[in-house]
Amino acid sequence: MADIDDTHFETGDSGASATYPMQCSALRKNGFVMLKTRPCKIVEMSTSKTGKHGHAKVHLVGIDIFSGKKYEDICPSTHNMDVPHVKREDYQLTDISDDGYLSLMSDNGDLREDLKIPEGEVGAQLRTEYDAGKDILCTVLKSCGEEVVIAVKTNTALDK
Amino acid sequence: MVKRASIDDNGRDRATILQEVENLIVNAEPDKKLLGCNIIENIMQEYASTVKSTDVGLSWEVHFKAKKQFEGTDLKRIFQFCIYLLSEVVKNDPPYSDIMVQLTRHLLQITERVLVWGYVSPILPKRLIGIYESVYESDQAPALKLNDGWSEIMFNPDLVPLMFQVFWKVRDVDELAHHSLNCLVQLASLSGGIVNNEESRMKYLNSYLVNFLNLISNTTVKRKESLGISNIVKKLVMFYISDFSKLTNPLQETLLDEFTRLTCHFCDGATHDEANTDEDNFFYDAYDNMLEAWTTLVADFTSISDELHTSCATRIFNNYVQCHLATPDGTRRTDISDTGGAYEENIEDNDRTKYKEQLQTIGLLSRTILQHSIPVLYKILESRIEVLLATLPVMQQRAMNINEANSLDNLFEDLHWAILIAGHVLCMECDGETALIPSEITHHSSEMAKNSISNIEASLKALASTDAKATVPDNLEQCDPVIRIGYNVMRLCSIEEAAINMKLGHLMSPEVGSSLMWFLKRWCLSYLLPEEDFYQQMSPVLLACLGRDSECSKLIISFLLNKISANLYCFQTEPILLRDTVELFSDMVCTKQKSVYIIKTNSMAKLITLTEEIQPGTLPPNILRGVYKGLVLAGACLVDPNESTMYYERILNPLKIKFKTLLGQENLARICEDERVQKIVIDLLECFIGVAKGSQMATVEILFEFIAPILSEIQVFLNLYKHYQVIVQLILEVFGQCAKYMLCYLRPLDSKKLYESSLAAVQEYAKCNATRLTNGQFAEESSCQDLSLVLDLLTFILSKDCIDLCTKTCDEEITMTASDISLFGLKFIMPLMTIELLKFPNLCAQFYRLLVLINDIYPEKIAGLPEDMMTNLLRCIELGLTNFGSDIVQACLDFIQGMASYLFRHQTLQSPFALALKPFLKLLMDLVLRHQINSDMISSSSTTIYTLICCYQEEYQALVQNLIQNQSDSLVAERLTAAFNNLMFNVQFTCERHAKLRFRDNFDKFIANVHGFLLVK
Repeated sequence: MADIDDTHFETGDSGASATYPMQCSALRKNGFVMLKTRPCKIVEMSTSKTGKHGHAKVHLVGIDIFSGKKYEDICPSTHNMDVPHVKREDYQLTDISDDGYLSLMSDNGDLREDLKIPEGEVGAQLRTEYDAGKDILCTVLKSCGEEVVIAVKTNTALDK
Repeated sequence: MVKRASIDDNGRDRATILQEVENLIVNAEPDKKLLGCNIIENIMQEYASTVKSTDVGLSWEVHFKAKKQFEGTDLKRIFQFCIYLLSEVVKNDPPYSDIMVQLTRHLLQITERVLVWGYVSPILPKRLIGIYESVYESDQAPALKLNDGWSEIMFNPDLVPLMFQVFWKVRDVDELAHHSLNCLVQLASLSGGIVNNEESRMKYLNSYLVNFLNLISNTTVKRKESLGISNIVKKLVMFYISDFSKLTNPLQETLLDEFTRLTCHFCDGATHDEANTDEDNFFYDAYDNMLEAWTTLVADFTSISDELHTSCATRIFNNYVQCHLATPDGTRRTDISDTGGAYEENIEDNDRTKYKEQLQTIGLLSRTILQHSIPVLYKILESRIEVLLATLPVMQQRAMNINEANSLDNLFEDLHWAILIAGHVLCMECDGETALIPSEITHHSSEMAKNSISNIEASLKALASTDAKATVPDNLEQCDPVIRIGYNVMRLCSIEEAAINMKLGHLMSPEVGSSLMWFLKRWCLSYLLPEEDFYQQMSPVLLACLGRDSECSKLIISFLLNKISANLYCFQTEPILLRDTVELFSDMVCTKQKSVYIIKTNSMAKLITLTEEIQPGTLPPNILRGVYKGLVLAGACLVDPNESTMYYERILNPLKIKFKTLLGQENLARICEDERVQKIVIDLLECFIGVAKGSQMATVEILFEFIAPILSEIQVFLNLYKHYQVIVQLILEVFGQCAKYMLCYLRPLDSKKLYESSLAAVQEYAKCNATRLTNGQFAEESSCQDLSLVLDLLTFILSKDCIDLCTKTCDEEITMTASDISLFGLKFIMPLMTIELLKFPNLCAQFYRLLVLINDIYPEKIAGLPEDMMTNLLRCIELGLTNFGSDIVQACLDFIQGMASYLFRHQTLQSPFALALKPFLKLLMDLVLRHQINSDMISSSSTTIYTLICCYQEEYQALVQNLIQNQSDSLVAERLTAAFNNLMFNVQFTCERHAKLRFRDNFDKFIANVHGFLLVK
């Protein structure tokens, strides 16, 4: 039972639930769902059945939006699944500290310095572009109380 | 080597070799006998193909001659030799010694190869021969098509009996039986000049049939043999159907009787195979072959008596029905549906799709025995309905035990199959054509009424008693048989609803529900509100029940609409059932003649209200768009502009208001991530897609007026939801579908509006995604999905320049053309098309197809591109030539050839584009010379190269000189010079078809020649 409760933990700031329920059959590919208590993006979705004359079941394959790990689940289409609230915000990169923390500025000028440089390709790209003196936009993904930079984009808005 | 020599000496050498090999096989040690067989097989291999054997450096014409010469002489000799040896083999009885088995296997293999040989035909062009030969290499052997020269051998009265005897003796030896059976299959397809003489043909057929019938009536066909035996039947029917009627009557009767017996035997076997999924489905394929033969037999074998025909068709029909019913009525294995929890249901392979062809043929056969088949079907339906009705109250009282649940499953399976079969008996497939009632059915229905077996009154009464609670009418026996099936199906629908009301909906079968919707869809298309003008004969009963002026048809319409509403409301978690429900709806309203009777009903109004009241985010994907497509289609029947406006306002205004309200929210940027807002947006987009899909010429104006402002404002969402792929893709789809279904009817000014907003959307999309890097293994796949939608959009837009169905012109001059938009759009997304993305085959093909299409329509637009875009484009073409499959190479070649001919025609050889295209001459030459282009593509490369040479003659000369000078071996250089001279012999650089074709032939020889000495790796 404990693991079910886990999916309902609250985020510190908003006070609202981190997830909301949605009928399994109404989920969509490329949308989000909680699988094994992790927030995932649905990369595959197919319908099967419980026996030929049984009811629809939905087979879901999801990728953990933070760790990239793959999860699978099959559930009756009538079930309510938890869908994580997923927020994404763009920040301007202003600095990278020596210990690998990013200084990010939001649209309204607020500064934050609590996120680390991400791992993998994105992190490497971020570092090179920053070193090259480019203007960088970071997309921060936030869900279930976790946050990470998932994408970088060289800011071209200034050129135009 | 033998082949090369045989060209010079007309095969004298080869004959000597064969003579020696034959001696070897007859006289030598067993080991050497096998060696002899191998030699023969190798020689045959050398001659088998003309197109693909460029490796020995002979041109195609020479191959062709050699093959023809071989066929005329030694192939016959080899065949006769094998037959002689086989006749020796069958003198002994099995079991055979190992060495004997091996030798026989070789002999049978050689015989088989002679019989499946792709004989050359002087009339076929090279390309067709190529296809012929590749067919030969695939599983499906070509027919045995021989000329006169083979008469003596094939019509030898001992040949056919011998081959059957061989099979009889070796059928238990697995490695021999297969080859032997294949020989028999090929012999059943004997055709060509050899059978022109009727007397010898009939003699041959008679002998074959007598032996064949003798074989199959004396034994039970084994599962491994079933496929071969069924192929024999198929080929006999295919090649000799017109001769069947010339056979003696007893032979005809035995023939049909045995065919029927085989068919039923295979059907039983197939049912058995289904249950054991681990076995191969030989019986299943064999059954398909038999049914294929029956379709021809029904149509063309008319000389047999009706009685005989009826008995055969009845046996096959009964057998099929039985195989799909549970015991005691049928023989279906009851454990099929019991495969545990994981019953995989893909949209592609439900029973309806999987057994489509079987069901169609059974339908065809059943229509010839309607007096028998329809009653069988309605009796099954009625008896099962009775049981189901009796079960409902029990289910309501207590939970079912396992046995009861199993028998309920069996009941559903029976119903499901009865509905499927009935659907195929009553209606024919009508893809894209007006669905009509099959003439046999109208005839049958009329006859029944004429003979007072059925009457209008009873039929009307039945249709009025479809409610689950209604009692079965006492005069049901006088109901028209066709109506009676419809009555039963509708009754099942009512029972489903009754079960829902009893809170037993979860015990009903969604599979049966889907089948019901599917049946009603077909039934409505053909039977409901029939277009009387289309029929020469119409059944008065059907007309009275389902015709336009009948009260009863109104009842049926509202019954169906109510059922559709109920499904949308009660089965929201059953995606497949909903899909079939929505299809029923849009097919009901798709013709104006019918929808005019539907649109103004109360049930329609109810359906509209219900659709609007469905909570956002509760329906599975793609359902809402289907409903809106139907709603929009239905409106097309309203001719009065006021009525039409009113109707569309009724449907579209609520959407518009929802959309405006959303956009008008001041805090939209903040609340857009809210789940409720997201759900509303998603549902709205689904509705818009549906509206676009339902557009027709008559309604496009009013619909575009609705959607145009939405399209121009929707960019806001594209930006707001740039991180929400579901929404981004739906928006791209809205544009794509508008371009696909609306653009071709739009007036120039409206088209311009659509161009502008599409372009803005593509631009916005590109802006959000350019220079963006996302983590994760699925990032590429998702960009691929997005881009594929964008490419779709651009391709649909472009097609406006090919197909424009709008006749209205515009006063204001519109300078923007569809191809401009496509090119502009392409420019925006080109930076997003990375080489990694192009590795997705579909996206890659889509991309290159678009390029070629633009190029085909407007080469001048491409020639006039700005330099950076042009460089990018040509870089893509270059990549396409070397990095992907041959379809892409073909597309790139087409592109280059198209551009080069354009440049040549307009003599703009100094333009920047002409300069940019120039390097492709060398590139292509290099690729071809280094064998880096697939040999299948050589001929299309050659025409491309020719076109390039026409444009850049100087460069070509320099290239040739360079190639020759780079050869260190002077002999090679000399041969190369000669080869190049021959290449250009008699070819003018006019870029015209004639010269192009001559160049192509020369090039073929050139490549065969040059590859011989240049290709030193």
